Amino acid sequence: MEAASATGSVRAPARSKGIGEKKLAKLMLAPSMILIALVAAYPILYAVWLSMHDYSLVHPGLSRFDVFGNYKDALSSGEFWAAVRTTFIFTAVSVTLELVIGLAMAMAMHAAFRGQGVLRTVVLVPWAVLTVVTAFMWQGIFQSPLGLVPSVLDSIHVGQNIVWLGQKPYALIVLIVADTWKTAPFMALLLLAGLQVIPKDLYEAGKVDGASAWQRFVKITLPLLRPAILVALIFRTLDALRIFDLPFVLTKGAQGTTTLSLIAQQQLQNNGLIGLGSALSVLTFLIVMTVSLLYIRFVGGNIKAMTED
Amino acid sequence: MKGRSLIGATLALLACSLLLAACGSSGGGSSSSKSAGQTKGAKAVDPASIKNAKGNITYCAGKDTSGDLIEGIKNYNKKYAGQGLKVTLKEFPEAADEQRTQFIQRQRAKSGECDGFESDVIWTAEFASQKWLVDMSKYIDARKSEFVPSTLQSVTFDGKRWGSPRATDAGFLYYRTDAIKTPPTTWQQAYSEAKSSNPRGIAYQGGAYEGLTVHFLELAFAAGGKVISPDGKKSVFNSPQNLSALKFMVGGIKSGAAPKANTTYMEEPARRVFEAGKVAMMRNWPYAYALDQQAKAIKGKFKVEPLPAWQGGGKAGILGGHNMVISTYSKNPGATLKFIDYMTSAPVMKRNAVKYSKSPTLNATYDDAAVKKAIPFAPQLKQAVAQAQSRPVSPVYSLISEAIYKNVNAALSGSVTPEAAIKKADGQITKAIATF
Repeated sequence: MEAASATGSVRAPARSKGIGEKKLAKLMLAPSMILIALVAAYPILYAVWLSMHDYSLVHPGLSRFDVFGNYKDALSSGEFWAAVRTTFIFTAVSVTLELVIGLAMAMAMHAAFRGQGVLRTVVLVPWAVLTVVTAFMWQGIFQSPLGLVPSVLDSIHVGQNIVWLGQKPYALIVLIVADTWKTAPFMALLLLAGLQVIPKDLYEAGKVDGASAWQRFVKITLPLLRPAILVALIFRTLDALRIFDLPFVLTKGAQGTTTLSLIAQQQLQNNGLIGLGSALSVLTFLIVMTVSLLYIRFVGGNIKAMTED
Repeated sequence: MKGRSLIGATLALLACSLLLAACGSSGGGSSSSKSAGQTKGAKAVDPASIKNAKGNITYCAGKDTSGDLIEGIKNYNKKYAGQGLKVTLKEFPEAADEQRTQFIQRQRAKSGECDGFESDVIWTAEFASQKWLVDMSKYIDARKSEFVPSTLQSVTFDGKRWGSPRATDAGFLYYRTDAIKTPPTTWQQAYSEAKSSNPRGIAYQGGAYEGLTVHFLELAFAAGGKVISPDGKKSVFNSPQNLSALKFMVGGIKSGAAPKANTTYMEEPARRVFEAGKVAMMRNWPYAYALDQQAKAIKGKFKVEPLPAWQGGGKAGILGGHNMVISTYSKNPGATLKFIDYMTSAPVMKRNAVKYSKSPTLNATYDDAAVKKAIPFAPQLKQAVAQAQSRPVSPVYSLISEAIYKNVNAALSGSVTPEAAIKKADGQITKAIATF
């Protein structure tokens, strides 16, 4: 992030002050670029390199170069496509829910009232809880038949036959509920920041012109909140596409909850299939990158235009 | 925020997604050719070398949460310090997968850091097939009659003995004495009693993980099923016996003999359901016994039995536990064997059973009066261990297990038919063997 914004700003002084400064800038950037190369680029390239090898921990000594072998295996397996489908459904539903709930929470927190500070802190608690802990907590809540949800449903004679973590599509629903509970506050926080920069006089002007509360929300709040919404969406979408800890703890990937990161981890660590696991990681990387590029292509430009207005 | 910096932020986030790929791998492979799993030419240790053993060795094991290993090493060092012998314990992480990884990394680097290693019973074959272990056949064969025979099965690979069994484990059938009138002698009987008892049902480990592989194989082995051919080169999973075991389990869930929620259970959830008094029976390891005795709802109202037989088949079980092995890169196999000999000797085995509830691997220990007093279910435990078998002995065991638990779990939850599940698992096992 630093690097990219820094290179963006290099051009302006370079044009006005000549070549010396440009070189100096590059020189000063070098340490951070090297650091990024070490911690970000190297693992990525190494994973790509590994993904082009028939390489397994079970079998020391075997490391055969085979550019597409692992990719062919991955793409021709039903498991991979099932994981893609699960990951996308999970992402679409949970991010949408988080946006709606997070926006409502942000609006509530934005309204001035006594105890505002306390509310803001309390709302953030779920986000501060470790994901693994969250997962164990929801597992306890939904575990049949002793968990909270099955017990309550049982006492009112509803859904007694549902095994929440052991049935399609309920397992995925639990996953989405857990994720939404955990990250809606994060969404709310980002949106709250956006709300706070909207000038109050716009609302007053709207009121004077006779706009209803709904009209003020649709015509003033939403358009002006758009940059914040987009940033929040990008963050959450990319995060959701990489979801690993929740299904790992809740279901171990059973009942249609195997996500892309989960299959990559299973092949890499459980099965020691370094080549195939790396190929799966690279494919996940490509999918996430494509989605983020689409975001930037379609909405990133908007943000730029808006902020430059 | 400008568009450019958005790209930067995105890329930084993306980089994290790939870090996963970089871990777990280390260095490229050497140029050695593909071994066929033969152990020909493996180093062997002579039992006579115990006599004049001398020097320091390091024993590597997962974190010793119970403390029996630490005490054993302390006593050993005290006893033999005068003879110039010393053992240092190197603790690996508590998680089993991590221990395996730690040991593999050292062996691949031909490191002599671990002279001995506490190997889970399911890894011993894998390590032996990689020629990472010292052949202990001579030593074990001399003591053969002392050990419960099934525990020796887990150290045997390619006709040789690769370790000395230190602790064992086998599943029990727990049942409520107030709900089940006669302890079931067959699985079929157990299920039919569980179907109509009050409380109803049998709890077991049915989640998609190693525990389900174990439980499925307990039934399948009793029914006469097998997973791989004796030479380990072919899958024989698609058999009528395995199919009947799976059909039996699926039928149990459909009829209500086994709660549907079993498909999500690991050891602990199953134990909690049993302790809450919601089911009449449970398949679990011996560890649950002491805890169950503290549960108000069932205290004094349950008993344990070795796993029942398969109607028209036999009795079976799956062996857990740990073997002590010697690294082929150890510079002092003699002193390592001496330490192993001490830890698997009758007095130490007895102390571990009485003080730490470790299931012994020696026949005599089970019949010891002090052990019987400390472990009230010692006779049942001995039977359970004796009737238990090793899991498929293969270097690609983790892949085989995954093929079994995933497909069995899918069948139990009703998303595929038992036939399809067995067939798919068979295909995956065949593929797993081919990767080796």
